[in-house]
Amino acid sequence: MTEFNKSAGDHNQDEDSRVRKVYDHMEIVEKSRQALLSRRRFSVRHQIYIAYALVFLFALGVAAALITNIYQIKSQLQFLEFVNEFASEIQQARRYEKNFFLYGTNLDDALENIHLAKTIFVQNADQFAAILGQKQQQTFLARISAYEDLLDRLKQIQGRKPQLFKNTKLLSKIEDDLRKYGKEMIDSAQGLIKKEKDSLSRTLDRSRDIHIVSLVVLLIFLAVHAYLLVARIYSTLKRFSGYAQRIAAGDITPIIPKRRFRDEFTELAIAINEMIKEMDAREAALIQSHKMRAVGTLTAGVAHELNNPLNNIMLTIHMLMEDYKELSEQERFEMMNDIANETGRAKNIIANLLDFARESATTIETFDLRKLLEDTISLVRKQVSLSGIRIELQVAENLPSIHGDRQKLQQVFLNLILNAVDASEKGGKVQVMALPADKPNHVAIKIIDYGKGIPKHILSSIFDPFFTTKPKGKGTGLGLSVSQGIVAKHGGQIEVTSEEGSGSTFTVVLPVTTFPKEIPLI
Amino acid sequence: MAERLEILLLDDEPIVGKRLKPALEKSGCKVEVFENPLEAMDRLEQKRFDIVVTDIRMDEMDGLQVLERVLAKWPQTKVIMITGYAMMALARESMEKGAFDFIAKPFRPDDLRRVIAKAAKALGSSIDFNTAGSKQS
Repeated sequence: MTEFNKSAGDHNQDEDSRVRKVYDHMEIVEKSRQALLSRRRFSVRHQIYIAYALVFLFALGVAAALITNIYQIKSQLQFLEFVNEFASEIQQARRYEKNFFLYGTNLDDALENIHLAKTIFVQNADQFAAILGQKQQQTFLARISAYEDLLDRLKQIQGRKPQLFKNTKLLSKIEDDLRKYGKEMIDSAQGLIKKEKDSLSRTLDRSRDIHIVSLVVLLIFLAVHAYLLVARIYSTLKRFSGYAQRIAAGDITPIIPKRRFRDEFTELAIAINEMIKEMDAREAALIQSHKMRAVGTLTAGVAHELNNPLNNIMLTIHMLMEDYKELSEQERFEMMNDIANETGRAKNIIANLLDFARESATTIETFDLRKLLEDTISLVRKQVSLSGIRIELQVAENLPSIHGDRQKLQQVFLNLILNAVDASEKGGKVQVMALPADKPNHVAIKIIDYGKGIPKHILSSIFDPFFTTKPKGKGTGLGLSVSQGIVAKHGGQIEVTSEEGSGSTFTVVLPVTTFPKEIPLI
Repeated sequence: MAERLEILLLDDEPIVGKRLKPALEKSGCKVEVFENPLEAMDRLEQKRFDIVVTDIRMDEMDGLQVLERVLAKWPQTKVIMITGYAMMALARESMEKGAFDFIAKPFRPDDLRRVIAKAAKALGSSIDFNTAGSKQS
């Protein structure tokens, strides 16, 4: 007993892991919803905002760079002016110095000029230091000071001891030093001007480059962003139009996340999933109502079939009562055994119909196709033979088992068989064949009738909902549509070929192992 | 009763024959039971029966065809049809085609005995059910 329970438990668990709801998508829709919402939000609006912000920041950066550059140019120009002034003061000083030596003019002008030059240099010491370097600036300043000192000495000599001018040795020494320092200062000042001009030119070039580069970068950024935005919207729209087509074709698996973020389209996907849920519920109701119609059709046959065991029981009981005393023990036992068997038979007939009619939670199981077809045919046998039609069943050997919703597939086969019977002439036959399909890993179940066939012009519309050729009140026009839906859910399809006057063949193609399609929830 | 009533009983349910044969024999009839209509037809070709009791719904041949064939061969024979409740239309059709009467499943042995007695009377013979039949009737 324990052993049995254990194994039964294992089996159930195993079954549970395989059992998946095909029609009741509530859970999957909810899971998809959560998966859709769990992603980081990055909406189209965000993308546009971010792009604008980036462009603005970039423009801000460029503007700041340009403004800085303009300031730099301005200060460089200003400095250049100083340097020019400085150089001209020195030159002026040298000119006076020359005049002094040549014509013996006074040195005051020269001193004044060199003093001015020194003032300029000291006032702009920082800038000079920046261009020349601290050390050279000091040297420069030293030279100016030295020059100034020399002039000063010269002036003092001139003022107080003019006799010293006769000392040509001393004079020429001072003159040589003055010339040397003067020349060095002029050279340095000119070098400084050149250096500063180059620097200004570089700054102007940089300003030009900033304009060109920023424009190019902006252009590339805008182009890339436009491309990304369009690609994002376009590819998503394309994906959704794919969903619409897929749903229209009957595949109503919920939309699952395809990207790492969520946006406005996520809300659309959730709305579509909700719609799918609704459609699912309606389809389930439709399938059930259609099944109940089939049950109605079958009831007459079942009631009649029930009369047989009932009649057997009645006859046996009455004979048992009538002849109880005359019958041997053996005969009585045999009669009671008959009653027991016939009661079981009656129970099976009812159970078979109720099993079909029952609105069950749809579960996926593996089942034998032959058994399913036999059960289906036995369900309709009585009903069908009342119309004088024979049903022949042929099932290929070693046909793989089918994985799917047994009850719903039974409904499909029942519907196709009843259609075939309706199409057949009295005394005709309907063939039901199960064989491997042309497609690998698929089986085909053919339901063949030899009736009047389907006219070519309506062949393409027979799977449309509400299309019917039956008289008003007899058919809903939903049978084939519902059947097609059920088979599509199993990853298969129903095909039809028909020859007017010689009959029709409906082929249900079902995958062997691939169903149910695993729905990966990212 | 000098002559025993000869009855052919045709029903593809074996228990029907198994129970009705002794029931009718007790009432003094001679009963031959068939489950297969084709075999029954062969037998009917060879021999005339007073009464033929046939089920309507059978796989190989329908009760209406049996009725037509019997009446064509033996117009005197009384044919009693066994039907299901759901097949009153067929029962009416068989009456139009010349069946003597019909009896609906499920029925008691006495129900059939009564119809057979009626047929026997129509044939000019009679069966005394009070001696052979059940006490409940």
